Amino acid sequence: MNDNPVLRCIVLVCCGLVIAMAGGCARWIEMMATPGGNQEGQSQLIARDERVPFIMDNIRITRNGSPQNPSAGTEQRILGSFEEIGLFSYLTGTNTAAPPANEKVIRARLSFDEAIDPHAGDAAWKGIVIGASMFILAPFIPLEYDYAAHVSLELERWDGQIKHYESQSAGTARYNLFGATPIMIDELKGHVTENCITDLTRQLVRDTTFFAASSAPIGEPGIRTVSVKSHAPKTSGSTSTVIPVSVPAEP
Amino acid sequence: MKPHSFSAVVFLGILLWVLSATCQAEEIMPHLTVGTQEVGLSAGYLLPHRLTTEHTTKQSGPAFMPSWAMVLTDPIGDSWYRGQILIGAEIVYIQFERPELTHGVGFTPKIKYLFEGTHRIRPYVEFAGGPFYTDLGGRIPEESARFNFVLTAGGGISWFITPQLSFNAGYRFHHISNAGTRLPNIGLNSSLPFGGFSFYF
Repeated sequence: MNDNPVLRCIVLVCCGLVIAMAGGCARWIEMMATPGGNQEGQSQLIARDERVPFIMDNIRITRNGSPQNPSAGTEQRILGSFEEIGLFSYLTGTNTAAPPANEKVIRARLSFDEAIDPHAGDAAWKGIVIGASMFILAPFIPLEYDYAAHVSLELERWDGQIKHYESQSAGTARYNLFGATPIMIDELKGHVTENCITDLTRQLVRDTTFFAASSAPIGEPGIRTVSVKSHAPKTSGSTSTVIPVSVPAEP
Repeated sequence: MKPHSFSAVVFLGILLWVLSATCQAEEIMPHLTVGTQEVGLSAGYLLPHRLTTEHTTKQSGPAFMPSWAMVLTDPIGDSWYRGQILIGAEIVYIQFERPELTHGVGFTPKIKYLFEGTHRIRPYVEFAGGPFYTDLGGRIPEESARFNFVLTAGGGISWFITPQLSFNAGYRFHHISNAGTRLPNIGLNSSLPFGGFSFYF
């Protein structure tokens, strides 16, 4: 057998490089256990003509507490998931025309609160260390990106009864420097969102009888009143804000 | 055609293409998320700085810097300094035309802070350092070794022509020395104004 030390060194260096590159490109997603996440999905029965339409009235999205523009993609994904469970006759989004007033419908208001922690400070320090080591430490220093979502759904039945549903999920993307891609973050957000929606649909299915057309008579036709008010901005430290107050003039 | 004339024609061509692309673009909003990669090429001209009386060499010449970087953070900060951190590396090649025709090549990991700016025009600051080999070492009084280190610090502006393409212009201060591994080690200091482009994907 040819026992060439140079060849042995080259093989060892190549193996080391392959292992380092493979380690440096690693990435994985860890999902936190969600309450009720392990529950089996129970199926319920509902007659076809007992199903009522589902109308998404409003979607509110916040990211780390700051309001965001609701995306059509998010709405479509949520409506698509609700459509899959077969509980409603049809589903419409926020931009579609309202159904006739005397129709039995479920109106929905959804709040989607995202919490993102990219560990920017950690990433910066780790980046400096990795760079200073000429990227040798890249396979051994993992970076992290946390994403959590809390979804609350308010469903109003045609007779005015309201039910609240909530779900939350969180996950962490762990990656080495060379394994980072924008897709990784999308994957993490996708998994967390899917967990939330699955939990919501599970809760909806549990309340199937509540949404059946025969569960309540349609409300008396007439003038239905709604309260109208301006949206109060959620600002921190608003105690110092000066609000002008004036007394109406005597007639 | 002389090399300088050819360079001018190429530069004018790029400039015209950039201007036409700018006119067509309605809204340029680069969306740089964690993991976005940047690959770029910059070129500039090295100009000497003789900071002490011991510095006598007027080294100068063109420099080429192909680079790679990756966005490491989402935008951080809430004020004018809001921006993103990138980490990467670049190869520095310098052709010293003066005091004699010699070459230098180095590899420098770098860290870059890309300000959010106006989204389309994003200033940045960067710092890089690493080994640098040059055959100018040993031929000048300031540097005795061929194996040196290069440290650079500077800043620039990235002008996003499309969400994936930016043109960059900036300035760097260059320092070349051998970290005391061999004497004399006075070091070479230079200014490096540069221009280039980057692709983001």
